[in-house]
Amino acid sequence: MDKYISILKIGFQQELAYKLQFIIGRLRNIIQILVFFFLWSSIFQTQDSVFGYTISSIGAYTFLLIIIRSIVMSTKVNDVSGFVSSGELSNYLLKPINFFKYIIIKDIPVKLLNIGFSAVELTLLFIILKPNIYIQSDATQLLFFILSIIIASFIFFCILMLSNSFPFWVPEAGWGAQFLIVAIFVEFLSGAFFPIDVFPTTIQNFLKLTPFPYIVFIPIKTYLGNMTIYNNLQNMAIGLIWCFILFLLLKKIWWKGLKVYEGVGR
Amino acid sequence: MINYYLKIWLLMAKNSIYAWMSKKETVAIFLFGKMVRYIFYFGFLYFLVSKSNGILGFSANQALFFTATYTLVDTLGQFFFRSVYTFRQFVVTGDFDLVLTRPINALFRSVAGGPDPIDLITIPPIIAVVVYIGSLLNPTLIGVVYYLILVINALMISLSVHIFILGTGIITLTVDQLVIIFRDFSSMGRFPIDIYKEPLKSVLTFVVPVGIMFTIPAKAILGLVSPIGVLSSVVFGIALFILSLKYWQFALKKYTSASS
Repeated sequence: MDKYISILKIGFQQELAYKLQFIIGRLRNIIQILVFFFLWSSIFQTQDSVFGYTISSIGAYTFLLIIIRSIVMSTKVNDVSGFVSSGELSNYLLKPINFFKYIIIKDIPVKLLNIGFSAVELTLLFIILKPNIYIQSDATQLLFFILSIIIASFIFFCILMLSNSFPFWVPEAGWGAQFLIVAIFVEFLSGAFFPIDVFPTTIQNFLKLTPFPYIVFIPIKTYLGNMTIYNNLQNMAIGLIWCFILFLLLKKIWWKGLKVYEGVGR
Repeated sequence: MINYYLKIWLLMAKNSIYAWMSKKETVAIFLFGKMVRYIFYFGFLYFLVSKSNGILGFSANQALFFTATYTLVDTLGQFFFRSVYTFRQFVVTGDFDLVLTRPINALFRSVAGGPDPIDLITIPPIIAVVVYIGSLLNPTLIGVVYYLILVINALMISLSVHIFILGTGIITLTVDQLVIIFRDFSSMGRFPIDIYKEPLKSVLTFVVPVGIMFTIPAKAILGLVSPIGVLSSVVFGIALFILSLKYWQFALKKYTSASS
């Protein structure tokens, strides 16, 4: 247990050592949020309701994006592809630690620091933008929201690890796989760039069968309380099924990857 | 002189293409990813604007044209000034000495030393999209002329910003983060900057000139920019370019060749 506590402490020190990188990461988040907020604000200048959203529910969507990005999408997992392609993974495999536990523990300081900073940003943006925000007061919806965040974190972790496993077979394509899967598919289809209600119903229904909306869109919709208990349970069930499928897939891919891993570069 | 540099640029472009060709899988992934991203951008905007009352009175096609112009200028900038991304390594390792001793302009080599072949493939379809959406807006001939002038001006501004980044890279060794910040601010130009409120709107016009780079050229096609507007944008672009060259000269004097 002590060794994992040490990893946690080192994780905090590493995060605070690269302050500029951390601040830029936060700045990028703020820019994305500002674009989202002002785009939707301009749309609500000429109408009261679009795609089932009001100005206050889209305000809540904007601010929940900051929270969900901090909790779910702040991670160190994207370093794994570099470990694999450079052969640095060998160092971790030789140590008396479980690599997955190591990565998960390294994620904790990243998430905690991002949550802390996002709280400050939320307060500042709230004071500056003065948005109308829908506040959910129903305890059941809030409970479902917390559950959906846990599911989202697990799904995102598995997807990110899967994309980081790519260099086992094509070492130079690690960044490319992350770009395609995370920066394109997750970013656009999860609801992080825009609510997927914008799409026609057929596309929405199809997307809900994929794991992507369960990372951002479903947690936010759960918070907004647009769904019945039955819908919430259905979403949680599909989310959990995806957790299970992705976990099995990750386990299989990771072990297959380790079998072909040659530690080139070490 | 122009022929000399064109020859060098073509040689560097060829080298860059050969280097990328050795990583076929990576090229395929990035190319596919970029195409999908463009489809998502345009798809999202199309559904958003066509099912709502538009953005600040701009119709669906007009809103799409703002995004198309952003995509065009951004991609051309990425294509021509790609080598800025690798500049830090030159300074950190001291390899920049080798650039300085060669009989070519060090700034030219640093800013345009290796175009991205993936963008070479994506540029023609992007131009086709710009032309197609632009033609739906029934532009006047003078509107098209203004547009072309302002797109060239946007590239000059992009070049100037990249030169400022290179100069700062020599002094502080920080390049990648500055490029990322510039690209993130640029991405705010996907939509007309009129959607942003003050003081952000002024920042996006004069500090990080996103408005002059992306919004004003698109507005020219819509007939919303006066000759004075075009002239002041060009004057701003030229002034920024001259300033960036002065800054580069200043930064070069700070280069210590420490790691060589």
